[in-house]
Amino acid sequence: MEALEMYAVDDRADVYTEELKLNLGPQHPSTHGVLRVELRMDGEIITHSRCDIGYLHRCAEKIGENVTFLQFNPYTDRMDYLASMNNNLAWSLTVEKLLGVEAPERAQWLRMTCAELNRIASHLIAFGTYGIDIGANTPFFYAFRERESIMGLLERPAGARMLYNYIQPGGVRRDVDEHWVDDVLAFCDDFEKRWLEYNTLLSHNRIFIARTANIGILTKDVALANGCTGPVLRGSGVKWDLRRDVPYLKPYDEVDFDVPVGEGTYGTLGDCWDRYWVRMREMIESIRIIRQGCARLAEIGGDTMDKQMKRMYKTPLEPEAGEAYMRCENPRGELGFYVVTEGGKSPIRCRARAPSFCNLSVLDKLLPGTMLADAVAIIGSLDIVLGEVDR
Amino acid sequence: MERLIAAFSDLTGTEGVIPLSLAYAVCIGSLLGFITVYAMFAIWMERKVAAHMQVRYGPMETGGWHGWAQSVADALKLLFKEDLFPRDGNKLLFFIAPAVVFCGVFAGFIAIPFAAGIQIADLDLGIFFIISIAAVEVVGVIMAGWASNSKYSLFGAVREAAQVVSYELPSATALLVPILVVGSFRLGDFNAYQAQHGWLIFSGPFMWIAALVYFIASLAGCKRAPFDLPEAESELVSGFHTEYSGMRFSFFFLEEYASMFVASILMATLFFGGTTLPFNLFDLGNWGDYADAGRLAAQAAAANAPADLVAQAARAAAAVGPFSDLGNILAAHLGIVVLLLKTFFFIFVQMWLRWTLPRLRVDQVMAMGYKYLLPWGLFAVMGTAVWETYAA
Repeated sequence: MEALEMYAVDDRADVYTEELKLNLGPQHPSTHGVLRVELRMDGEIITHSRCDIGYLHRCAEKIGENVTFLQFNPYTDRMDYLASMNNNLAWSLTVEKLLGVEAPERAQWLRMTCAELNRIASHLIAFGTYGIDIGANTPFFYAFRERESIMGLLERPAGARMLYNYIQPGGVRRDVDEHWVDDVLAFCDDFEKRWLEYNTLLSHNRIFIARTANIGILTKDVALANGCTGPVLRGSGVKWDLRRDVPYLKPYDEVDFDVPVGEGTYGTLGDCWDRYWVRMREMIESIRIIRQGCARLAEIGGDTMDKQMKRMYKTPLEPEAGEAYMRCENPRGELGFYVVTEGGKSPIRCRARAPSFCNLSVLDKLLPGTMLADAVAIIGSLDIVLGEVDR
Repeated sequence: MERLIAAFSDLTGTEGVIPLSLAYAVCIGSLLGFITVYAMFAIWMERKVAAHMQVRYGPMETGGWHGWAQSVADALKLLFKEDLFPRDGNKLLFFIAPAVVFCGVFAGFIAIPFAAGIQIADLDLGIFFIISIAAVEVVGVIMAGWASNSKYSLFGAVREAAQVVSYELPSATALLVPILVVGSFRLGDFNAYQAQHGWLIFSGPFMWIAALVYFIASLAGCKRAPFDLPEAESELVSGFHTEYSGMRFSFFFLEEYASMFVASILMATLFFGGTTLPFNLFDLGNWGDYADAGRLAAQAAAANAPADLVAQAARAAAAVGPFSDLGNILAAHLGIVVLLLKTFFFIFVQMWLRWTLPRLRVDQVMAMGYKYLLPWGLFAVMGTAVWETYAA
């Protein structure tokens, strides 16, 4: 050992190389929107990174304090624009909690089914764009093919393809048509076959594994300390899912599903591949939930909107003074809405706890020491939506 | 080339500079025309291949039939675009870099035999010439990356330099294997040898390794996926040509497709029989025995040669009969068709890989080159040397 140290040369003593400051973003193809990461590079290796957010700040929370409770619903669509159903659901549940009402049973099951369909659509984007980040362009188009079917299915009750404003305080805006349940089931059958194709094409590809396994290892402690949730937290091996642990919708209590967690299959627990694989398996779990939801929807009938809430659509509703916080398991993690009202038409404080924002906070801890190509892989594996980070 | 010079000197009745420059003009013009047309076709083909792999159609409107004129329209658009230049960049280097990049590959084309006699310069060291002149491209890429005054361009250029220089080793090593067997650096000799002895890929157990090593290394040399690091668009925006637009950008594009062509045609010529069909069924270069053409065609059909080629050969043989001059010309043309078909097959494989595989990381690319391809290439060289000495 001492002999070795004798020969050790500090290679920086006589050769000094300047660090390169590199702006990754905000107009970079792989930052999934307008994220800017300020990198200090030593050749291809990142020595220091600093996240710069706020390029998509649209004052969503402040808007929430200036519009009525119902009017804010479409604004939540535009936060995590890839999972509008889930955003609507979280806001609706918050308002319902404030008012002390509950959606009818059929509405609850519809909410769950639509939210899970949207979860699949959202994970499909994560899967497809992650392929592009790693350099495989084709999975993206396959993912979009299936996402297109989901958008077609959700368009039928909601009337919109991406920003639905379908789940509303009190229930859902309108009931589905008679063939909808059958079509959703047909999609489920189709999707399971496609899912196997994705895995052949990308998940178990040697190059893909080499690029993602053992990269961006997020330990359990760091993930918990930074408030990571969703697949990012579960990829680190923490079995925490609000749908299972704090069922915010009654149907989640009744349906049977697993919570996939990272296992370090090809590398270390909590690496990029684990986070990716958790999302992939969640899609299949969502299919399971949707199947059970469809089975129930075929049985139960009834109203899809709470009767006393219907009047809200005519005269703005003014709940009594109070506050409410509700959180939901979004595709990207826990989305929470905190509302304080003093009895007016709009809340005096409206606050969103965005999962992407918390998940992004670990980026600066993961990047130093990795290479530039890994930075892209890590950002992709966190699956952020900048509309939600900045709000 | 010599024949052209002679023809022009007969035509003009002069010697020296005038026929020489005329011959040069014809050669360069025809090559440029060929590369441009080929590149347009290849870009259209790439878009079609990609689209059909990705459940899309690709270009469908321009020109009518399956958007065949899309590349022409794109080229026209690029011609009319403004010639942009990045502030604080090095103007001279920025402007000449695309030309330097293109020259290297373009020069490589002169040594390629498309068929016996259809070749601009029949160099004794043809393979050597192509490998070495292609390395000029790296200089141009570094010029482009440096002159762009963009960090992403610089990253791309440095990656390109490291990658291309590293992968020249395995690709040159792998090319040594067929050279060992044939005993010549002249590309024309490979066609002649394979016409006589059958495809080189079937000669000895080490040729497969060499062909595979060469193909993988040529992917890296052409900056194709999974080795497209210099222009990795998800990491480096567009790599070394981030700041380029218009015609200068299209030269980088042209270079990429031209080098794909050179790599594929080398692959076809050195390993997969060049202008000949498999198993030496009929020797297209010296296709004289027309009486036997029918029998040969029957043999070809029996051995599962491409059916249309067999029919074509049989028809041609029946039609020309004793007119051996015409027959020779036809045979030469058929040789070109065979060679181009093989070349396009390898180009297709390159496209296929690009739209299937993810991209490797820069250190993994280096490790692949030095730890796997180079040792395997060397192993194939040694193995072939031993095999040729004792077994063959």
